[in-house]
Amino acid sequence: MSRVSMTLARENGRICCASCKMPLAGGSESWKARAILTEVSVARLPGAGLGVEQEVTIRRFSCPSCGALLDSETALPGEPFLEDVVLG
Amino acid sequence: MDPITFSIIRHRLFRVVEEAVITLKHVSGSAITNEGHDLMVSLYRADGSLLMGGVGFLHHLTSASEACKAIIRRFEGDIEEGDIFLLNDPYTAALHTSDVYLVAPIHHDGRLIAWSACFVHVFDIGAMNPGGFAPDATDIFSEGFSSPGTKLVSRGRLRRDVWETLLNMVRGPEMVALDLRSMIACNNVARERMLTLVNKYGTETVDEAFRRLIEQSEQRLRERLRELPDGRWQSRQYLEVKGEVFRVLLTMSKAGDSLTFDFTGSSPQSRFSVNCSKWASLGGLFAPLFPLLCYDIVWNEGVIRPITMIAPEGTIVNCTRPAPVSVATVGAIQSVNNAACSTIGKMLMASEKYAAEATAVWHANHFAIFMFGNNQHGRLAIGILTETFAGSGGARSFADGVDVGGEIPNPISRMANIETIEATFPIRYLFRRRLQDSGGPGFYRGGTGGELAIVPHDAPDGGLHYVVSGKGTKFPQSEGLSGGYPGGVNDYVWVKAPTSGVNADPFAQGLPDMAGEKVPVSWGVFPLMGQDALYVRWNGGGGIGDPLEREPAAVARDVVDRAVSPLAAEQVYGVVLAGDKIDAERTRARRATLRRERMAQEGTR
Repeated sequence: MSRVSMTLARENGRICCASCKMPLAGGSESWKARAILTEVSVARLPGAGLGVEQEVTIRRFSCPSCGALLDSETALPGEPFLEDVVLG
Repeated sequence: MDPITFSIIRHRLFRVVEEAVITLKHVSGSAITNEGHDLMVSLYRADGSLLMGGVGFLHHLTSASEACKAIIRRFEGDIEEGDIFLLNDPYTAALHTSDVYLVAPIHHDGRLIAWSACFVHVFDIGAMNPGGFAPDATDIFSEGFSSPGTKLVSRGRLRRDVWETLLNMVRGPEMVALDLRSMIACNNVARERMLTLVNKYGTETVDEAFRRLIEQSEQRLRERLRELPDGRWQSRQYLEVKGEVFRVLLTMSKAGDSLTFDFTGSSPQSRFSVNCSKWASLGGLFAPLFPLLCYDIVWNEGVIRPITMIAPEGTIVNCTRPAPVSVATVGAIQSVNNAACSTIGKMLMASEKYAAEATAVWHANHFAIFMFGNNQHGRLAIGILTETFAGSGGARSFADGVDVGGEIPNPISRMANIETIEATFPIRYLFRRRLQDSGGPGFYRGGTGGELAIVPHDAPDGGLHYVVSGKGTKFPQSEGLSGGYPGGVNDYVWVKAPTSGVNADPFAQGLPDMAGEKVPVSWGVFPLMGQDALYVRWNGGGGIGDPLEREPAAVARDVVDRAVSPLAAEQVYGVVLAGDKIDAERTRARRATLRRERMAQEGTR
């Protein structure tokens, strides 16, 4: 098993959750499409500023097996996912 | 060359830069220089290539190299011993017009052997708005004087005609003169110390050491890159001005021993002055690269060689003349900084060996407020609120970010004492402190930003005005890593005193305590007059990892320290407190609920 990030690993050529080892995607596929996505409105977070854009969210990608939070990104609606590929 | 001689010369170069920085600070009279450390000093080889990157704002190291090369091209055959050249044109090499480069050739026995270069953000540059940042500018022509290269000192003698022409175009010429003299002194000290070095070891030995130093840096960075995994990482930054949203999109690819930073997909250049030129983008991506990948490698030309940048022309990261760029350093350049910091952090996080070096994005948005007006001493005062340099640390892979912990692009940035600012400007601080809930949540929390409020005080004209180039209010930009949330955003609020004329509460402890209409402002020139107040908050660093995994005791400590509110503790971290104590049972239940909610929605593109 090799490291992809603090929360993701690669095993047998597949990206998996580092916590429960559940495979998410092949090495060249987008693992985010296989994760559970929830979005948090930045404007609703405690401490949000007065001027925060109402539509901007924090996308949270979680493991469908154990619920571990795998990654996050800031995005406006309709933006493609940020894709990170670790080739090893 | 024996390794001891090589090592001594290398260390002497560090000391040359260090002493030149001290000179710059001691001669300059501007708080932005000697308090905020908005400065840079570096040494270059005879061909202008970077020899020894110094401290200060690191995105200048490569741009000043280009400045030296531009002077070499422009003044071929007319570069003499004792000359000093001024360059501040963003389309030639500089970042924006108010960051003025003074570059000086260093000759030994009549032969050009090296260059020294430095910059400060001068007191004023003659732009349409005082202080250099010109949110009202529509093109480069309204952003002050802009020189692609001028000989300011000829064979050791100041050219009075050039000097007086420059000072005739700026506000506060006596302060700009002091800024320029500080840079002349800085270059003089650098030259003298370099000549001492050459006189001791000889030109050939020193030049051989220069060559080896660059080779060593290149070799060591390439070795490091080979140890890191190949791959591709992305980052996206949003900038907003007057309702228009701009993106900086970065795809960083690493293959073998080289790195490519590709900004394809970034927004077209803007009519607002948040754009930057290609030299500025190059500097912007190197600012985090130097400390994150080369923390033990000398910052020089050797570090630049393995790096390629793709920045499509006509975009916000490679604008074409005459697009305005005066806000670049806190606009597109800072977004390039942030995006590069994020992608480099992701790459480091993918490595067992280097994960400990990974960091979320630090303080991602300068608020950059320049005040101007007549002060209590009867003089024109122009200057930045140096809290913009106070920053906030991004979370590390082993610890929280440092509260109000500075910034990645400038390892020596800091803010002035309140008393220094109050002695210079006719204002009084109501408060200045850490900003609750501004550090990005995570297993490791991002460092907090801060907040402050000021009111006019002892002002001969009843107050003053300020220029705000306010991005960072709409979108969080201090990105987290591995699930960590981004840090909070900026705010700029004009608190208009009640019509009763009641002054702001002198003991106000936060924006809610301040009476009056609260009007968010973000871009342009605004008054701070009479009984009104200005409230500013600045962003925190990004977090790392899952906030629901953070030790409850750490969250409780944050609440006691007022870094995190009880509301955020419960809503974001799932930690329920009873007073200062953790309610363990309700915390377990709350975290289980939050995890279930996180599993409840399946997303699609």
